[in-house]
Amino acid sequence: MTATPMTRSGDDRVIAGVCAGLAAHVGLPVLPVRVAMAVFALLGGAGLLFYAWLWVLVPVAGDDQVAPMRRVLTRPALPAAAATAVSAPVSPLGVAKAEPAVAAQEFADARSARGAVPPAAAAPTQTSRGGTPAAPTSPLVGRAMRWPIAELLLGACLLVAGLGLVLVQLGVQIRLDVVLPAMAVLAGVGLTWWQIADRNRPDRALLPRVLGALALVAVGVLMFFVTARQPSALTVVGAAVAVLAGVALALAPWALRINRELIAERSARAREAERAEIAAHLHDSVLQTLAAIQQRSEPGSDIARLARGQERDLREWLFRTADGAAPLDQEALEAELRAHAAALEAAHPVRFEVVSVGARRAVPEAIAAAAREAMLNAAQHAGGEVTVYVETTPDSVSIDVTDRGAGLDPAQLPEGRMGVRESIVGRMQRAGGQARILPGPGGTGTAVRLTLPLSSQEPMDEERGRDE
Amino acid sequence: MSDDVTGGQPQSIRVVIVDDHQIFRTGLRAELGSQLAVVGEAATVDEATEVISRAVPDVVLLDVHLPGGEGGGGAEVLRRIAAQARSLPALASVRFLALSVSDAADDVVSVIRAGARGYLTKASSGAEVTAAVARVQGGDAVFSPRLAGFVLDAFGAGLGETAATDDELDRLSAREQEVMRMIARGYAYKDVAAELFLSVKTVETHVSNVLRKLQLSNRHELTAWALSRRLL
Repeated sequence: MTATPMTRSGDDRVIAGVCAGLAAHVGLPVLPVRVAMAVFALLGGAGLLFYAWLWVLVPVAGDDQVAPMRRVLTRPALPAAAATAVSAPVSPLGVAKAEPAVAAQEFADARSARGAVPPAAAAPTQTSRGGTPAAPTSPLVGRAMRWPIAELLLGACLLVAGLGLVLVQLGVQIRLDVVLPAMAVLAGVGLTWWQIADRNRPDRALLPRVLGALALVAVGVLMFFVTARQPSALTVVGAAVAVLAGVALALAPWALRINRELIAERSARAREAERAEIAAHLHDSVLQTLAAIQQRSEPGSDIARLARGQERDLREWLFRTADGAAPLDQEALEAELRAHAAALEAAHPVRFEVVSVGARRAVPEAIAAAAREAMLNAAQHAGGEVTVYVETTPDSVSIDVTDRGAGLDPAQLPEGRMGVRESIVGRMQRAGGQARILPGPGGTGTAVRLTLPLSSQEPMDEERGRDE
Repeated sequence: MSDDVTGGQPQSIRVVIVDDHQIFRTGLRAELGSQLAVVGEAATVDEATEVISRAVPDVVLLDVHLPGGEGGGGAEVLRRIAAQARSLPALASVRFLALSVSDAADDVVSVIRAGARGYLTKASSGAEVTAAVARVQGGDAVFSPRLAGFVLDAFGAGLGETAATDDELDRLSAREQEVMRMIARGYAYKDVAAELFLSVKTVETHVSNVLRKLQLSNRHELTAWALSRRLL
């Protein structure tokens, strides 16, 4: 069985999609997994722990190919924000209470940004009902319900506060020195957890949130410690454990992010290795076959041209993408001449060899255009083997196009041959360079030699560093 | 692999083809000229070492990319034969001509620095390969236009660097640069000679000198490529 990495389901979810993801991973229907999880949760809380563990460590499906752009662009309007904003001033508990309210607003914000905030059937509080009026008409009815945790928490807080007031009215002594630190600790833990649940969003003010959470936890724990009437070994140990737990909770998101990045990187590396393997295979099989075809077919025949074109395409792909290298843009002139050669080879029985020497730098368009014209001439009138030699020195650039065709006497050019007279010689002279047309190697064919001085102001490409 | 000793004319050049692709070996064999006698074929580094040391050919046509051995490809074959030549002096006269589908600089440099006398792309015609084999067998070097361009580039000719003395290993002399330029333009040795008013023998000497520099120089560009192939 192939080991597909487990992911949490993004669509089929009751709480966090853990059960659906687990079911897909082990190949079982979702319902039994959920029932089993619930049963284990009831039996001493083992299921709860397991669920929380998976929730924290398993990434959401499709996490490494998210389209954040689209998610942001399709964010719906925010009905929940108004409701929570209204509920905030009602809070009777000062600082510790106000922060969760703000947090809740952001949280609801994030939730609705992901598309759906349906009401929970089991949420009886007025805030949660008021917070999600638009949800039932949401087009995403196919999605499973999700718990509006922020609203639930708020409602619970209000409920507790109201209950406390009623109890005070009834004459019950409420020990504020216990309740307040407890509230602070709860708020801190809630903050960190909200962050964990919200970890798929791009970071927004991560540091203040974490610091706030940390401070809250620490303050709560310290208050416990300070207000304890009789400091004993037990309270000290308890406080220490609580501080450590608070810090661990607050730092958990970083650990989670690192874990997630590790998973993404591992899969990226696997993809890269696979690609390199394919490239190596193509290099060993197809490229060799194409070379053999070229060797055994008539030079300049259709088959040879076809094979050469294919070889060039494949080689380009292999050497550019196999090692993930960027396109060779520093060799602009060479690349341009190669592309031109490829186009000519497709149309004429000719084979170009482009050799490039020297510093890579931008050259004036005139010499490139003249070289293209010379190559076209060679393809049309000579054919066969044509060599294009490009040499760039710090103060000049020269391009030689050498063919082995019938030859070309510049003194006896027919009037119709505008190509040579105008496009090559004239163009080079206007650009301040020169074009010479000579007999080719051994007196056969034509050698077109173009030279153009370069002004030293032109930016020099320092791509090839030399250590000597 | 097969080891059939065919073509018994005493003056024919005895050749071993080392390439891991059957289709290419067969094709090349059919295309080679009549003065060449193929005395063996091999598909891996280990086979190549064995066949070459048994047949002791004049010239080995060696693919750059070969399976087997320690993964060193054609360069590993060259190093193994060089090691064996110490105990079997006849092997020292075996000359190598590299063939490759790749014209990447490090591939070329790896086999040349390991001792190959020349380099051709696999798309070269049978006649070109035959001529190159004859040249290598005669002790000369074979440079394709692309290899010549690469040499000019690697030795800094494009930046105007010129050797002050002939025995300087890290740069080319002015004459050597001119010869390399003509070869990069696609000129054959005799055409280079005619163009530069030299004898063919002088051109061959220049090319051999360049080959020696290519093999021995410590120039940064060359050693970097060689190091990346763990040749030094």
